Amino acid sequence: MDKKYGAFICTGCGIGDTLDIGALSGVVSGEMKMSCKTHEFLCGAEGRALIEKDINEEGVNSVVIGACSPRVMQDEFNFGGDKISVRANLREQVVWAKAEDAKADFVLELASDNMRMACAQIKKTELPEPYQLETVNKKILVVGGGVAGLTAAVEAAQTGYDVTIVEKSDALGGFAKQWRKQLPSRAPWTDLETPVVGSLLKSVEASDKITVKTGTEVARIAGAPGAFEVTFKPAGTSGEWDAPAKVGVDEQDKIDKGLMEDPNKEFRKYTDKNSDAEGFGSVILATGWNPADVSEYAHLGYGQFKNVVTNVEFEQLAAKGKIARPSDGKPVESVAFVQSPGGAEHDKDFPYCNSVTSLVALKQARYVREDNANAKAYILYQHMRTPGNMELFYKAAQNDDGVFLTKANVMQVTEESDGSLSVAVENTLLNENMNINVDMVVLAAGMVPTTKDAPIINLAYRQGPAFLDLDIFDGHADSHFICFPYETRRTGIYACGGVRKSMTVEETMDDATGAALKAIQCLESVDRGVAVHPRSGDKSYPEFFFQRCTQCKRCTEECPFGALDDDEKGTPLPNPTRCRRCGTCMGACPERIIGFKNYNVDMIGSMVKAIEVPDDDEEKLRILALVCENDAYPALDMAGMRRLGLNNLVRVIPVRCLGSVNMVWIKDAMSAGMDGAILLGCKYGDDYQCHFVKGSEIANKRMDNIGETLKSLGLETARVATRQIAISDYDKVPEIINEFVESIVAMGPNPFKGF
Amino acid sequence: MTMNVNPDLSFIKFLKSAGGDTLKKCYQCATCSVVCPLSSDKKPFPRKEMVWAQWGLKDKLIGDPDILLCHQCGDCTAYCPRGAKPGDVLGAIRAYIYTYYGFPQGLAKLASNGKNLPLLIGIPAAVILIMWLISGGMHLPTEEVFTKYGFSQFFGHWDFRWLSKNVFFIDIIFLPAAALALFSAYKGASAMWQKMNEGLNSDSNFRPSCNQFVLDYLWPAIKETVLHKRFNECGVNIDRVKGHLPLLLAFIGLFIVTTYGFIRKDLLGVFIPALHGVIPQYDPFKLLANVSAIALIIGIGILWANRANMEEKKGIVPTFYDWFLIGEIMAVGVTGLGAELLRLADFMTVAYVVYYAHLVSVLMLFLYMPYTKFAHLVYRTVAMAFEKYRESGFVNKGA
Repeated sequence: MDKKYGAFICTGCGIGDTLDIGALSGVVSGEMKMSCKTHEFLCGAEGRALIEKDINEEGVNSVVIGACSPRVMQDEFNFGGDKISVRANLREQVVWAKAEDAKADFVLELASDNMRMACAQIKKTELPEPYQLETVNKKILVVGGGVAGLTAAVEAAQTGYDVTIVEKSDALGGFAKQWRKQLPSRAPWTDLETPVVGSLLKSVEASDKITVKTGTEVARIAGAPGAFEVTFKPAGTSGEWDAPAKVGVDEQDKIDKGLMEDPNKEFRKYTDKNSDAEGFGSVILATGWNPADVSEYAHLGYGQFKNVVTNVEFEQLAAKGKIARPSDGKPVESVAFVQSPGGAEHDKDFPYCNSVTSLVALKQARYVREDNANAKAYILYQHMRTPGNMELFYKAAQNDDGVFLTKANVMQVTEESDGSLSVAVENTLLNENMNINVDMVVLAAGMVPTTKDAPIINLAYRQGPAFLDLDIFDGHADSHFICFPYETRRTGIYACGGVRKSMTVEETMDDATGAALKAIQCLESVDRGVAVHPRSGDKSYPEFFFQRCTQCKRCTEECPFGALDDDEKGTPLPNPTRCRRCGTCMGACPERIIGFKNYNVDMIGSMVKAIEVPDDDEEKLRILALVCENDAYPALDMAGMRRLGLNNLVRVIPVRCLGSVNMVWIKDAMSAGMDGAILLGCKYGDDYQCHFVKGSEIANKRMDNIGETLKSLGLETARVATRQIAISDYDKVPEIINEFVESIVAMGPNPFKGF
Repeated sequence: MTMNVNPDLSFIKFLKSAGGDTLKKCYQCATCSVVCPLSSDKKPFPRKEMVWAQWGLKDKLIGDPDILLCHQCGDCTAYCPRGAKPGDVLGAIRAYIYTYYGFPQGLAKLASNGKNLPLLIGIPAAVILIMWLISGGMHLPTEEVFTKYGFSQFFGHWDFRWLSKNVFFIDIIFLPAAALALFSAYKGASAMWQKMNEGLNSDSNFRPSCNQFVLDYLWPAIKETVLHKRFNECGVNIDRVKGHLPLLLAFIGLFIVTTYGFIRKDLLGVFIPALHGVIPQYDPFKLLANVSAIALIIGIGILWANRANMEEKKGIVPTFYDWFLIGEIMAVGVTGLGAELLRLADFMTVAYVVYYAHLVSVLMLFLYMPYTKFAHLVYRTVAMAFEKYRESGFVNKGA
């Protein structure tokens, strides 16, 4: 595209009152050689007309807007898909954010640099063209045929998509088929309901959009969203098409040298194509959970006494009819529900219980009372978790004459000669230690996700068959609980139900519906050639200039989403539909051969170089801030909106993710004579807030390395730093920046300034 | 100490039917204990009573003096965030306690259930009717006799001067009834005292002497009751003082008048026949009688209105336990004053029927005193005496 530029500066919202607009537009038209017009209300009809006039009459197709933050007025400054529009933030981060004592020339310099950077940016920006597969497969694969899988399948089929359910066992229905009743799903939230699984099975049978494969497992899932190639196998078997284990660069080296056995020698390579594989567009993972093993809690007698059972076993007993004691078939007159195994040591519930086991105990207490009007149900808890409307169910259960609730340390379960059990409890609400004699004890075993001990999803990916880092979610197939419940670390694969979180049937149905919608969103986004999530609708994607690739594999290793495979030579093999457009590969590449049409190494580098660095004034230091646009950049905007003041020695460049920060930009800044650089990104670690999971963590590691480089140049490593900023830290961010600037001031100017 | 727990489901069911229908709602937040003046640091009252009641632990509740010390001021019920109405649950527990300690049990159980109301009225009505028949006095007297003697020849007249026929019949009806009531109350109260004492866990062998019991514990408790000290501390239900105090004073007044009547007619009257017959209206005791009767009706009327109001506005469930006593006292007052007014107005026939009804209602009051809500007069007083005892230096606390 032949670009014809035009710059426009808005003088409204206080911009014109603070800045010398003449001087500012002089910078654009002089230094940056772009026509520059000003208007007092650029986002209004008249202002837009001014820009559109230039577009229509002068043929301008690339517009620089010097006005408010790029986060606002996006529709007002969008001139169509065939026009490029770049924003310079003069409002939130310049005129609104100036400190009380700011010097006018400092503020103007900041505004001028923002205009220079925007002009440099637009010169390096091209219009993105969406990546489109030749054919997009729009079938959805649902792995697992329990309530989660059935609901997801029915929901997706009702929306018009073809669905295949693959179920390991011989029949659909999962655990929920074994329940007597399920928890209330509607007002008044007090009555148990017939399990929904029966009607779900009927809907599945009735649907001509749903194919069912029982007794079948997924051997491997190859390919990418819109073009997954799934190999099935009979349940419990193994074969050459099973997903191979991950083999890293070092391991491959050892295997090649004969120092290590190839773990995958019986399996086909992950890049091999199976002509028998079936095509799918996206996958819903609904493989559920397994009942937790409770035999480790010896004092509770599970495994020793027949009448001590888990909640799942009790449910199965209850589903058969009137509840009878396993030891002798005597009708049950009293049951103790033990919610926490810790005795006097701790008050934790059984692992993997979430709020489910509280609700199940209340439900099963109801069975005990239904079966026998004189029966007694004791619920011995440390926590009673009854979220939302379930509080009403709890209240109804509590109101039953024969349901007895107390917080308690359950110390010991012993068996009496008549087969009954004695439960010793301490620290109760009754302020007394008690012995409770019961016919049965039910332990509130948790729900262990199927992904805890096995890959389950069996991906044929360079990064291995399993989801990564599930240990921080206790093995649940989850990736970013706070913001994106259904997303896994693998685009196009959406988890729901017990595999994602311990949840009840009622929650599972909501969850599965959400996952079905995500799977559909994925198909439709792939069809349009745009990113699914979290940059939904982004047309850009990373492009590689492979001639210069050194096969260092940093990009394939670092991609948080496993988007890159290897070809035979070890060159990265991009799968753009797996990609989330964070740019972590671009940040990783030492050869700088990865970039997006509208976001690349050269572009940011040019922006850095566009900053004017005075080399004769020790007061006018220049600090580069590369700021994550998801959290930290809005925090800066918010600081401006609240007039908290931002240091005007700092030059801010927003980045898609700190993971996309290529260290060459830091070198560019330092060799341009800038005095320091700070990276502001999301929190990382177990409670990470990074939209791209790993970006901020990776950036932090890279910064450690660049510190070494700086040292070898004779620069202080403390000239570069990273800080973790949450969006809610807007009140702290000015101070965080000030502290860093002061430390640079204390170090003095960059000694290479002016060279 | 470890307790073997065995909840009594029928106990829970009883409490729910006797006004404690909300007891299971309690979730032990202890708001009630914060507002209750009876609660102490180590004994969160009535929070612990609520959980005992929920768990059907009746043995703990029947020996708990605090339950009887509660005057149902209603603060706990008003502040309860869960609508568990602890005050009403305690009322239901008290109802259970009176039945539990009642002797004979058959009568106690009979008097605790609204379904038995026809029998509860029918028995005294029949007793008096039969006695009336046997006495041969079941006919209207002459105008002259009625004017002179009023109702004192209700059961007829004979010339045996040491004991009038009327007094004889009144005595054979009411003395056994009163004796039974007193005996039952004594038996119940002492059983309760014993149970409460067990609950103290005191290792002291101290037992108060009779003298000490009366002077140090019982008398101060009675004094406190008469002065309505605790009632006056009530927050939400302070209005009840306006009804309960005149009612209590009316009962005391009527007791004095009855005693006076007995001394005047049955003792002095033996020697001075002129003292028989109607007490003249100018007699100060007659004045006291009339004032008391009016106070009784006004007092119970106020309590009646309060309760009806509470049921309407606060969703308190109406119970037989509460309404039986209100009805009984109202009946005594209305029939008593009514009989007098009708007598003065010379409506002889109606007056006789109303007087009969008065006798029935008074007999009911006597007979059912130890088992119905009226029993609080005994049990609460004993509990207040026990409280003084509990706080005395003789009881080894901390054990």
